[in-house]
Amino acid sequence: MICLECDGLFSQWRQQARWLLSHQVDPSQVSWNGEREADLFSAPHGLPAEPGPFQSRIPQALPPLLESASQYLGEQRWSLLYEVLWRVSHGDRTAMLAGDAIGSELHRRTKQVSREAHHLHAFLRFVERPEADDGPAYVAWHEPAHDILERAAVHFVGRMGRQRWLIATPRDGVFYDGNTLHYERACPPAWADLARGQGDSTHALWRAYYAHTFNPARVNPGIMQGHMPTRFWKLLPEGDLIPKLVAQARHGKQRDGQAQAVALRAGKAIAGRPGLPAAQPAPDGTSKP
Amino acid sequence: MELIDKLSILADAAKYDASCASSGAPKRSSEGKGGLGSANGIGICHSYTPDGRCVSLLKVLLTNFCLYDCQYCVNRRSSNVPRARFNPEEVVRLTLDFYRRNYVSGLFLSSGIIRSADYTMEQLVTVARTLREVHEFRGYIHLKAIPDADPRLIEQAGQYADRLSVNVELPTGESLRVLAPEKQLITIHQAMDTIHQGQQAVAGEARAPEFIPAGQSTQMIIGADTTDDSTILRSAESLYGNFKLKRVYYSAFSPIPDSPGSVPLAPPPLLREHRLYQADFLLRGYGYQANELLSGPGNLALDIDPKLAWALEHRDMFPLDLNRAEPAMIARVPGIGIRTTKRIVELRRQRRIRYADLARLRCVLAKAKPFVVTADYHPPQADTSSQALRLAMVERPQPQQLGLWG
Repeated sequence: MICLECDGLFSQWRQQARWLLSHQVDPSQVSWNGEREADLFSAPHGLPAEPGPFQSRIPQALPPLLESASQYLGEQRWSLLYEVLWRVSHGDRTAMLAGDAIGSELHRRTKQVSREAHHLHAFLRFVERPEADDGPAYVAWHEPAHDILERAAVHFVGRMGRQRWLIATPRDGVFYDGNTLHYERACPPAWADLARGQGDSTHALWRAYYAHTFNPARVNPGIMQGHMPTRFWKLLPEGDLIPKLVAQARHGKQRDGQAQAVALRAGKAIAGRPGLPAAQPAPDGTSKP
Repeated sequence: MELIDKLSILADAAKYDASCASSGAPKRSSEGKGGLGSANGIGICHSYTPDGRCVSLLKVLLTNFCLYDCQYCVNRRSSNVPRARFNPEEVVRLTLDFYRRNYVSGLFLSSGIIRSADYTMEQLVTVARTLREVHEFRGYIHLKAIPDADPRLIEQAGQYADRLSVNVELPTGESLRVLAPEKQLITIHQAMDTIHQGQQAVAGEARAPEFIPAGQSTQMIIGADTTDDSTILRSAESLYGNFKLKRVYYSAFSPIPDSPGSVPLAPPPLLREHRLYQADFLLRGYGYQANELLSGPGNLALDIDPKLAWALEHRDMFPLDLNRAEPAMIARVPGIGIRTTKRIVELRRQRRIRYADLARLRCVLAKAKPFVVTADYHPPQADTSSQALRLAMVERPQPQQLGLWG
């Protein structure tokens, strides 16, 4: 049994895998990061010092697929990749197709990873720091389930322009200084404090918007949860509104789509015949009942 | 009136428009530039409200003062709703503030008709122009086009917006005459045509300025009148054909406060809206024709989806051998989508398809089972009548607790 350590880095795993493959080491003979309990009857040993004789070609599409699946945090994170690589390099291309037993798991992982990256792009909320020195003007705390931050955070470089921003997670963190992206595999405690300790007055506007764009006559929390997993709710400024809105919509005398807060206000019907400009809103935008 | 009060009223007034897509915009980036925002064609749903709908854009009306008296609309002239009006600067500021915090990917701005169609359209264009030119905003903008507005204003709007939409609201001229007396099908179609002409003028010209790269869409209200699904689908099909619309949205009529007697008091089943979306998807993505899905007048079945309904009516084409069939035919098997079809074709280049592969490819086997043949499987139900199959496959609704308030 060969036990290896790749520090959670795909580049390192790739080198090790290439080496193993050159010696034609069978997937059952190798494990990473103590994934598999050392076999009682085999002594652990490292890699041979010299590359082996075996040479193989793999399709171009395979390395990006493996890299994407490597961001998945779960059982046999690295040994699954080696098994796919081993089978494909020995001529069995079905191992990388979704119809195969192991290929199906590989594709499930890449799908989970891209979904989690999408969750970062969607559910992350930046908080503005009003008196930002030369530090970040926008900070966010996020809790991704997979190792996606480094690759997925690039999205915000295009989105935020020259703004300085920071994203901290329980594992890693990233800071953009307006020019360059700085990634830290272990999030510095100062970053985490910065990201978690802020409030933002604009959240109140957003919460009002969220509550009013909801149509209580169509309440359907099951669908919402399918798209927006509950684990993110505590990180969202609108998260604590959800149970209240659902309860109101279900148990009140809700018969139409209007929000209660709007129904309670005085209304204003507009007089006038069709085609005649009878209604003129007051210049300050208010209406008088 | 405080900004937060205006936002509450004008978000509440805008929510009956179903569209909230932010996809289809061309690649734009603010990396190393002034300004704000990016787009890459993929829409992002930044949140979901408890009705299960995606929140992708800041969707508000500029004002809910309105001269029109459309019976199905909460903002109609005669409706007793609180009214408010944003000035364009306020919408610009809200959009940018919301965008920076990653609440939304852009703006969807519509408006009640004030003073005149032209004046209203000008106001919408002002917001979009300010965002794009003053603030160098590169996020998504969807503007509502006002049917009776000057075509030149609509063209201007198209230069700033990623998407324009003109709502047909009701699928027939007769329904419009009864329920929306100020609107006419002909001017709605003219506005759609203006937009379509604008798109064609830049099509194929690499250096032409952009004109609504994410295309145009529209919305029909379902269940406010007696129009059946057959008319709705045919009308959608001709809109896709005539004006090359990107999407037709179907919005189940939602009862409104102080409902006038001309519209129903109860909503249609939401399942009807869902079936229309499924049928619409089959028109756009799978090459079905409206008259294949509904040959005569009437509504789509509520208890089975339209693809299954079609397959049950065409049993002579099934069971289908997945190892030989044309991809277009495989995609017509219930429970097998376009994506799975591609994967099946990929896999069968390597080896024969077996039944267990279908489960791994995440086909909906309960639906697909009677319709497919694989190397090791032939459906025992191949000779069962369609009627018996249908009975076995209907989606039975979950039992519902009766409401305390009836």
